[in-house]
Amino acid sequence: MFLTKEQQMMLDGEYGFAIAKLTKLVVKIGEVNDATKLIPIKNAQIAGVSYFTVGDPIFSFFNMLSKDKVKVSVPSWLNPAGMDMERWEEMGVLESFADKQRRIIQHYKEMGIETTLTCTPYLIGHQPKLGDHLAWSESSAVSMANAYYGARTNREGGPSSLASAIIGYTADYGLHKVENRVPSIIVDVNTSTANFSDFSALGYWYGEKFHGVIPYFKGIKNTHIDQVKMLGAAMAASGSVAHFHIENHTPEARKVDMNYITNIVSFDEKDKKQVYDHFNQIKEDANLVVIGCPHSSLEDIQYIHSTLGEKSIKEGIEFWIFSSQKLMQTDDAKKFLTNLEVKGVKIFTDTCMVVTPVIRRNYKNILTNSAKAAFYLTRDGTNKVNLLSLFEIMEGVSE
Amino acid sequence: MKTIKIRPIVEGSVEGEALVSPIPISFLGGVDSETGIITDSENPLFGESIAGKIFVFPESKGSTVGSYVIYGLSVNNVAPLALIANKAETIVVAGAILANIPLVDKADQDVTLSIKTGDKLVIDTTEEIVKIKKVE
Repeated sequence: MFLTKEQQMMLDGEYGFAIAKLTKLVVKIGEVNDATKLIPIKNAQIAGVSYFTVGDPIFSFFNMLSKDKVKVSVPSWLNPAGMDMERWEEMGVLESFADKQRRIIQHYKEMGIETTLTCTPYLIGHQPKLGDHLAWSESSAVSMANAYYGARTNREGGPSSLASAIIGYTADYGLHKVENRVPSIIVDVNTSTANFSDFSALGYWYGEKFHGVIPYFKGIKNTHIDQVKMLGAAMAASGSVAHFHIENHTPEARKVDMNYITNIVSFDEKDKKQVYDHFNQIKEDANLVVIGCPHSSLEDIQYIHSTLGEKSIKEGIEFWIFSSQKLMQTDDAKKFLTNLEVKGVKIFTDTCMVVTPVIRRNYKNILTNSAKAAFYLTRDGTNKVNLLSLFEIMEGVSE
Repeated sequence: MKTIKIRPIVEGSVEGEALVSPIPISFLGGVDSETGIITDSENPLFGESIAGKIFVFPESKGSTVGSYVIYGLSVNNVAPLALIANKAETIVVAGAILANIPLVDKADQDVTLSIKTGDKLVIDTTEEIVKIKKVE
């Protein structure tokens, strides 16, 4: 790989042991993927935050980094943690867990990383720009950055996104190269995608069938950001799909030369039904509703607020929405948050159903409108879920 | 004695005994970073330790946080001597670099078939080869 003089000095240890290690990490990942150079990144989004997912090994790594007092060199922010940083007790998180979680976040903070604790940085002012090179690691945010904003990022791991945040470079391979961003399958969407959960079902269906292949969707009429984020998240979860195009909607779609794509598939009513049927696992009553995978926007929450109207959540049912602290602190949010809490809707920030330990421990039967959440919650067999539209959920759990 | 060609990723020349996983390994949730013991009940090596062994596996899977598990193994002095994969992915590359564990991949054959648990191996990343001395 070609390295500039500065990059070579970083690799040779001129800037200390930790920088040398992290540079080697980025360079070697590049070499394995046939990259010939490093490229500067605009910013980084770093996963590996919840103590539930990283466990104790991360502290050894932090110790190595803190010896050299390394800091990030580009704007960087964090994925969700394993708990609401203020209301963790209410969630059922134990003190021992909370203590480790706070220590992890403190380490990241000392490196100069903004503790956003969200999987939707683009909802709190961190929207990437067309053509930006990034090192993002949360899989749903990666697909939004690539597809919705036309920025360029591979699906980084926690360690590689942190390394890139610190050294300021990533290796030039994969989705950083224009030739790897073209779709190779056309998906004709022949059924209604009126509900957010329909976008989720489409993404789940596609990812499962065409692992890692970039699709070009036709026939999708409405593409609100909250719908596209459900589509991308589900595809990334079931099939590691990191980029996609939607005809007439996503920024790179019009550049696609359709003549080269010979593989055409169709997504019909029966395919959609198949996903809902797969996640129709609860035979008795559910005791928990989880919304906000990816993190809910203000509009998502406003919809719940207006659908609920004069009704409240039924006794015996926990109704949890996950979002980011930054959004919930806005004046717009404050207008309806208190009212929702009175009606039995809890809005937790900084975390989500996938990365907190309490759901697997304390709950069994769960309703959600997110196929990504459904996928992760049921993967180890602990939980059973029903995937429903938000409207259907609200009808069933309010009175 | 049989010799196979490999691609070196993290350099180092070591000799040791092979421990072969026939299936992809998830380091996060699949290996205990304090003991080196394989905790994935679906793996035939369940309960065995990779500490001090040359660990041979087809590829890594699961969370990218697995890299921190590999680093944790070395901090806790229970790291494998070296890693041989058919295909080294980002998780294992990052982990091996952080932990400074020799890592090679892309042999000219399926290493999980040509190497058996207990075989004596010599890895030479300068010559880009692994020598296999079959167990009796």
